[in-house]
Amino acid sequence: MATVDKNHPMATTTHVSSARRTLDWRVVRRHLGQVLLHALLVAGCLGTLLPFMWMIFGSFTSSTEIVRIPPTFFPEAPSLENYRVILNDPHVPLGRFYLNSIIVAVSVVLLTLFTSSLAGFIFAKYEFFGKNSVFGFILATMMIPFQVLMVPSYLMLAKLKLIDSLWGLIVPAAIDAFGIFMMKQFIEGLPSELMDAGRIDGASEFGIYWRIILPQLGPALATLGILTFMFRWNNYLWPLIVITTNERRTLPIMLTWYSTVHSQRLDLTMTVSVMVVVPVLIVYTAFQRWIVQGFALSGFK
Amino acid sequence: MSTLVKTAQPRSRRGRSGSNRGRGLFVGGALTPLMLYMIFWTLFPMAWALLLSFFDYAPAHSGGGFLGLGGDNAFIGLGNFRNMLGDSLEAQKFRISLKTTLMFAFLVLPLNLAITIPLAVAIEAVRGRVKTFFRFIYFLPTLTSSVGVALIWRYIYHPQRGLFNMILKAVGIPAQIWLSNPRAIYLGVPLALWAIIITYLWQDMGYNLVIFIAALQGIPHDFKEAAVVDGANVWQIFWKITVPLLRPTLLFICVMTMLSSFQVFDIIQIMTENGRPQDQARVMVLDIYLNAFRFHNMGWAGAESIVLFLIVLVVTLVQMRLLRTRWEY
Repeated sequence: MATVDKNHPMATTTHVSSARRTLDWRVVRRHLGQVLLHALLVAGCLGTLLPFMWMIFGSFTSSTEIVRIPPTFFPEAPSLENYRVILNDPHVPLGRFYLNSIIVAVSVVLLTLFTSSLAGFIFAKYEFFGKNSVFGFILATMMIPFQVLMVPSYLMLAKLKLIDSLWGLIVPAAIDAFGIFMMKQFIEGLPSELMDAGRIDGASEFGIYWRIILPQLGPALATLGILTFMFRWNNYLWPLIVITTNERRTLPIMLTWYSTVHSQRLDLTMTVSVMVVVPVLIVYTAFQRWIVQGFALSGFK
Repeated sequence: MSTLVKTAQPRSRRGRSGSNRGRGLFVGGALTPLMLYMIFWTLFPMAWALLLSFFDYAPAHSGGGFLGLGGDNAFIGLGNFRNMLGDSLEAQKFRISLKTTLMFAFLVLPLNLAITIPLAVAIEAVRGRVKTFFRFIYFLPTLTSSVGVALIWRYIYHPQRGLFNMILKAVGIPAQIWLSNPRAIYLGVPLALWAIIITYLWQDMGYNLVIFIAALQGIPHDFKEAAVVDGANVWQIFWKITVPLLRPTLLFICVMTMLSSFQVFDIIQIMTENGRPQDQARVMVLDIYLNAFRFHNMGWAGAESIVLFLIVLVVTLVQMRLLRTRWEY
């Protein structure tokens, strides 16, 4: 106490400098917080990416190196040999599988976009008897797990003679409850004056949908289209049940080829995985905004 | 002027009544087939599954009558459901699968939330454009084919050549037989199931993450600013403001995460080859799939799927009750 009183000017200077130090410390702490945050998030990213790197490096590793113990993370002699083997494998018509997957995914996307936008338009812009209960029914069907319907749906396809055909993968997927819900939300935000203008010009109701509403739906159609495409591209259980002929299989089914039918070929399995996963990553990189928005949108009522 | 109005009025009325009929025709004509189609692929198979569950149905039997039910496909009433409580092998497998599914779903949900909520808050706290980059990376696994994911992870868990044991050895922890050691049980859960849960979380978290980020962006800034003015720290803001305001999103996330973890199939079927070892990873959908399409025991599979549906329904309704909110912002 006494010393402080004695050296008054000194005390003030220490006080000032300590204040300056706390000020600096606050700035440092804020920056440190951001740096720490970035470090943690980058570490998490590496953890997320590690399996992908493992897959990609595995695809460039030779069949003798991949079975070596202890394993190597980076291939010692990276080569494209695995890709050559798969592309020349007569048992694996890779082009056919790609084509099947594309046929199924594109057909389902087009059908879903049409049915969802049409039904969504009607629920958004028309009043009719029982509208709320019908829409409630559609939302309720989203709660039924597909696996509950799986066995009867298979029997239905059998009765319709659609087993072991790509139609069996397309027909039951033509209407999507989530798609209708999403389109309704989007179309409700469009001004109804657009429709009145169409009516004055003598357009039919379907003409209003086709020529006036549909062209306004660009972002919503893109989002729903990409989500549907991804989902169908990756779908496994249903094609596993429905398709029995090798030539009609889709990509996810053929992915398991080198690890069940033959003895385990890790190198080839990783290579096929790259071949199926990479197209999706390219689509994702190109349409990131639509995809992330679409998934985020599905969280809102 | 007055003549103009007179001529204009009837025309517009005629036009409106005409278009009213047109609208009715359009709504009826377009919506009816769409709804019938939807009923055909949802309600109809739902009812069929319920019917199947009362029969001893196999497609190879020479059944007669409606939908092939009858004849050799005998009506057994609640027989399938009564058998589920019995001692038969399939009943034991069913009960194992039920237990495994419940364990899986009730572990995945809290673990998922414990990762995705802090991660979403952290990504939201980042300034600048890197935010989009982080979101991009963390969402990547969600879009990857689950078959590819399962194959990659099966290799990662490989006892001798896998990445996981390679890392463990580097840290000095003994290697584990991740997917096929029936004696390894931690906290009452088989190691194989833990391994699958890790894979599942890795793949599935991106979905919830994106939804949480969107929800965080929807929280008005005023609330947080007011809390800062009142001297609240970061933790208090998180627990007293962010979490309560996330509640409607939380309800949706919980329902959807539960719903999808009750449906897990792809990664388990591929990573463990039909739930082995000792059915430690046998989940309900896998059991339904095997019974229906390997053993052609479709009546039994139908009964199982009805049980699955009822469980999902109850779990969903309970969550809706627990997490319901009566306010909005």
